Amino acid sequence: MNKIEGGKIPARQLTAMLALSRIAPFTILFPMITGMEVPQDAWIASLLGMLLSIPFALFVARLGLRFPDKTIIEYSERLLGRYLGKLVGLVLIWYLISVAATTTRAVGDAYTIAIMPETPILVFMVVMVFLAANAARCGLEVVGRLGEHSIWIVLFFLILMFILPFDEMRFKNLAPVLARGFRPVVEPMGTAFSFFSMHIIVLGMILPYLNKPKDAARYSVYAILISGLLMTWLAAVLVAVFGPTVSGLVMPAFSLSRLISIANFLERIEAITMGAWTLSAGINLALFLWASAVGLAQLFGVSRYQPFVYPLGALVVAFGILFYESNVDMQIFFEFRNIGVFSMAVTLGTTAVLYLAALMRGKPSPRMRR
Amino acid sequence: MPVKSMLKIVVLVLLIGITMTGCWNRREIETLGFVMAVGIDQAREGGKIQLTVHVAKPFAVGGGADGKGTMEEKPFWVVSSTGYTVFEAVRNFLSQSPRRLFWGHNRFILIGEEFARKGVQDVLDTFVRDGEPRQRAWVVVAKGARASDLLQAEFELERMPSQAAMGIIQGSRTGLSTIGKSMLIDFIQKLEGEGIDPIATRAEIVPRPQKFDIRGELKREKIGASARITGAAVFKDDKLVGWLNKPETRGFNWVMGKVRSGIIVIKKPGEEDRFIGLEILRAKGGFKPEIKDGRVSVTVRVEAEANVGDIQGFLDPLKSPGVWASMERRMATVIRNEVMAAVAKAQELDSDIFGFGAELNRRNPKKWAELKDRWDEEFPHVDVQVEVKAKLRRSGLVIRSTRIKR
Repeated sequence: MNKIEGGKIPARQLTAMLALSRIAPFTILFPMITGMEVPQDAWIASLLGMLLSIPFALFVARLGLRFPDKTIIEYSERLLGRYLGKLVGLVLIWYLISVAATTTRAVGDAYTIAIMPETPILVFMVVMVFLAANAARCGLEVVGRLGEHSIWIVLFFLILMFILPFDEMRFKNLAPVLARGFRPVVEPMGTAFSFFSMHIIVLGMILPYLNKPKDAARYSVYAILISGLLMTWLAAVLVAVFGPTVSGLVMPAFSLSRLISIANFLERIEAITMGAWTLSAGINLALFLWASAVGLAQLFGVSRYQPFVYPLGALVVAFGILFYESNVDMQIFFEFRNIGVFSMAVTLGTTAVLYLAALMRGKPSPRMRR
Repeated sequence: MPVKSMLKIVVLVLLIGITMTGCWNRREIETLGFVMAVGIDQAREGGKIQLTVHVAKPFAVGGGADGKGTMEEKPFWVVSSTGYTVFEAVRNFLSQSPRRLFWGHNRFILIGEEFARKGVQDVLDTFVRDGEPRQRAWVVVAKGARASDLLQAEFELERMPSQAAMGIIQGSRTGLSTIGKSMLIDFIQKLEGEGIDPIATRAEIVPRPQKFDIRGELKREKIGASARITGAAVFKDDKLVGWLNKPETRGFNWVMGKVRSGIIVIKKPGEEDRFIGLEILRAKGGFKPEIKDGRVSVTVRVEAEANVGDIQGFLDPLKSPGVWASMERRMATVIRNEVMAAVAKAQELDSDIFGFGAELNRRNPKKWAELKDRWDEEFPHVDVQVEVKAKLRRSGLVIRSTRIKR
């Protein structure tokens, strides 16, 4: 293994980074619940999406463990040959960049919609990406430690935010459960799953840099459980507070925190949500920038990944601006038929192809069978 | 190397310059006018909406008490503006107000009756879409008046009308239970919810007599009109269709379990021209809709506890056994009558303010799916049964009234 990235991280940092990456989208926008036909079943969709993504994480970990010292970019080249392998690698890197771009744009939009409508969105995006890129340049160990520390802050903020509006919660809003059966739940579930899968796929990049690669499966499942249960809880709380109007909200978690008012004293603590989403989106961006830069370096056989980070960051900002005309545009992209299909095609498609190839080639270990 | 590190420092300093100076949207408090209440009416020019706002005058709020002589100045400013949409009208205030209006503290969205009857959906949008207004503002309908006129009302004891109105609302909510609570967030939810229609709080203008009637005012004729905030406005979808008076509103609150306190007046057993006042201590309420042979029936259950507050004439429960129980029965009857009055009014107006349909949906979504398209026809014929458990808990410090020796 070449020393493009020299660091090694403990598996709990993997949990922190993956969980934070997944927390970012639903504390900012909650793409699944907006526009949902029967929003009171959102928590079911979220729970099922989480459960579905556990096998996928196990699958990605299993694939990775066949090459415990190689990233997904490296072994795809090994498995599929030079050209096809590089193509798959490029697709994955493109995917990581586009996810990072979407996150960046979502954060920028959130800031401009919620608090500073006249500030150019570029300000938020550039600052955000610049900071994340610096973290990414410092290596996985730094991002990992950042994640490990931030997750407690984010969890504290979120749990506070999910409990404090208790005054407004009417849990009878959750009934009737599955009033129109499972059909309206399927697509949101797919959306939730596709968001999980886009963060799980990074596992393919991190796995070789774990202290004990064998832990990858277990600890990524922890990440899924942490973020998935939080998301389910948030979905239930949102419906309890907003009833049917929740599917019309652009940033439900933000709207939720706007309602908090304890004894006319603890009020206007939207900053808490913004803190949570900024931190988690920052870690998400740093991780994805790191992963795509390392991937590119490996793809082109460059010995250092750092030179790729800033240019990739610039690309992320540019794509973030170019991909979406407006936040309505972005919400349309978050519908299942767009993001679900795109995401699943890339994540499920590439890993399935690689796994099939690995099966056909057999295990590349010293004691090769066959 | 030194050059490189110098460069780094320069870049850092520049970055600090960019990030620490604040932001495009910074607003200083001295440049803002705080909106305390907003009224919405149809403008006299065709098709336009008229907004009237109460803007707080901070420099006039604090002054009076320490005798700096600003008592003369009212601590608020009432100003109107028009526009085709609410948002436009809000922006149009800029041509009259030297300070930009800030909506984060707005507590009341007051809607004129005439406007409310035509539907309020078009005007509420910006209050949920924009980031500044809070969702906890009260939705109030001005009965028989334009919102702009009602906003001229002033109150005693509090110089800021919105503060005063808040006090009245809190008082009637906890002490009388004769007010329909409706915040913007609830209103919107009920608009969107199936099988439930929204209510709003009702407010009326009370003209003040301009005669020699001082009533503790420091300066006479300062207050031209005051306002009474009681009852509820009943909406069908987003259109105002009618009103609940005080007993009906309390009936509504019984059903919704929102009665906190209040006085129940019953006729005195055995002496029907005298009254007994009972103070409600705590109450629980709820309802359960059922479908029997294709007909919807609703059972309302109310449990209430009360204390004896006052008794006219003489009564000694120790000497006249059964009178306590008979008082409890009369209390139950009063509660039942209030509930039935509220139900009858809602059915007359064909507005499911209780959410019978919504509850039916929660309990039996399949039946609701068949029913919901004709719920408008069904609701007025829903059979409502009221079960009241009324308990008189305490008699106060005396067990019998003062006995007048003759």
